[in-house]
Amino acid sequence: MEWYQLNSAFTLFLSLLVEAVPFLMLGVLFSGLLQFFVDERRLVQLMPRNPFWGALAGSCLGFLFPVCECGNVPVARRLLMQGVPSSVAIGFLLAAPTINPIVFWATWTAFRDQPELVFLRIGCSLTIATLIGWIFSIQRDLRPLLQPNVARAMPGRSRDRAGELEGAEGPALLQSGTYFLGQSAQPVDAAQLSAVAALNPTAGKPAMYKLTLMLESMVQELRELGGVLVLGSAIAAVIQVFAPRDVILALGQGPITSILAMMLLAAVVSICSTVDAFFALSFSSVFTTGSILSFLVYGPMIDLKGVGLMLSIFKPRAVFYLFALAGQLTFLFALLVNLYGT
Amino acid sequence: MTSRSSRAIAAWIDVLALVLWGILFLTYWATGKLYLLIHPNYMWLTVAAGAALIALGVWRAIALLQQARNRMAAGNASHLSLLPKGWSSSLLVLTAILGLLISPRPFASQTAIQRGVSEAPTLTRVKPQAFRASSNSADKSIIDWVRTLTVYPEPDAYTGQAAKVQGFVIHQADLPDNYLLISRFVLTCCAADAYPVSLPVQLTQSRAAYKPDTWMEVEGRMITANLNGKRQLAIAAKSLKPIAEPKNPYDY
Repeated sequence: MEWYQLNSAFTLFLSLLVEAVPFLMLGVLFSGLLQFFVDERRLVQLMPRNPFWGALAGSCLGFLFPVCECGNVPVARRLLMQGVPSSVAIGFLLAAPTINPIVFWATWTAFRDQPELVFLRIGCSLTIATLIGWIFSIQRDLRPLLQPNVARAMPGRSRDRAGELEGAEGPALLQSGTYFLGQSAQPVDAAQLSAVAALNPTAGKPAMYKLTLMLESMVQELRELGGVLVLGSAIAAVIQVFAPRDVILALGQGPITSILAMMLLAAVVSICSTVDAFFALSFSSVFTTGSILSFLVYGPMIDLKGVGLMLSIFKPRAVFYLFALAGQLTFLFALLVNLYGT
Repeated sequence: MTSRSSRAIAAWIDVLALVLWGILFLTYWATGKLYLLIHPNYMWLTVAAGAALIALGVWRAIALLQQARNRMAAGNASHLSLLPKGWSSSLLVLTAILGLLISPRPFASQTAIQRGVSEAPTLTRVKPQAFRASSNSADKSIIDWVRTLTVYPEPDAYTGQAAKVQGFVIHQADLPDNYLLISRFVLTCCAADAYPVSLPVQLTQSRAAYKPDTWMEVEGRMITANLNGKRQLAIAAKSLKPIAEPKNPYDY
């Protein structure tokens, strides 16, 4: 490893962080607001019960929480912990970085000359996120796929089922409490404690107290996800330096190879979805429309920098399923555009 | 008791991490190093995040002090994390210290070659909104020339126009010995997406006189050169003078 490589890797690493940390903070802020200032029962009631409509609704939630692919993780995790159906949370996780006003505007600005690409991006992201959210809802109890501490923080499974408990006033919360205590062999997690504490007894407490709890949980999430983001960015930076971009681009510019190259590039470059349209534009003169689309759709869902963040919600197996499904669907759509599009 | 004191230490490491990251972001901004990392349009995000981090750290410190005075149980010190307990904050503290100690450096010619400088002229970020009259062609930067070329690639159209550009030197092995590339990196968002653009410069002597990565201002006239079997726009240099590396080495 030569000096200049170490040097560029470090600069790359810092630049990824300088850009990602503000968005991570935004996501953590939304997550805190969700946890302490949104009534989870009303939230869950608002969500469609049907897994398909749930996934679609989740995919559109990005309009309410405009976060990119660093900020969506804390919010999606919080949604799961609040007992929102898994199809909604997964739809949100995959679609929110693309289906939101900021990204729409940025893509529009970049691709004013090719408006079809803007709508294809939105349409494909929405379709893929909804499909994957729907597919994951087949797994009735998502907990085996989740990291243990997220699974433990989720309210009892009975809540996901058609809300039989809706009528009975507090039992859901009580149940989740007993659930923790039943697991007495496990150390009870502070987030759960604070979540339980926050959901139940703070109901009548002053906003100032809630704010204190919120800031505290924000610090905790920032610490945890920040560490993971640092690791992810370091890996992304090192790979960018050692797998140079010209190698990836040299994969080819045919209808199939160009898609693969751009998807690989999207995963490696790890830039934020709010600005990736401008980056993609620089390739639009040499690469096929389908491949540019695949970059714009796949990049926000999956990138190297974000793998660690994803792993804070899901077990590796589930992250792999998400990658594989999203990758195959993106490839399929991009190929259709290349073969039948203009 | 020990668990309480170790939790207190963990909580203070969090405060340290928050404040250090805030300081790191604001220092980069104050010293202009942020220009090396991110597009000026997005700098406010980093600055706002830096200020928010410091505020959060200060708030946390005050809360901890109050807790200590009231002998309340220490706050959320346990972890919800992938990383072993305490690693995450330590990693954050370590990274922030490294960031404060090691200065980020702008990319150099090796990175440019790696990122495919030879294809650069086919890349364009935004289609030019306006064309400048040829009378002030000397005002065009490298990226202006490259964008103009993307719209109208015939090199003969520019023959004889005055050129005055600034950039760093790249020696490309497959060019004749009296040619070098004068280049700049273009940033769309952050340094992770920087890509190089360049123009060939025809010298009157061997390029060995101009070391790679030195910053130069090249003045000359546009010509059509035949390089590697391709007709290309090049600058026939009248003068090359070394300049200091600009504070903001990227172009946008």
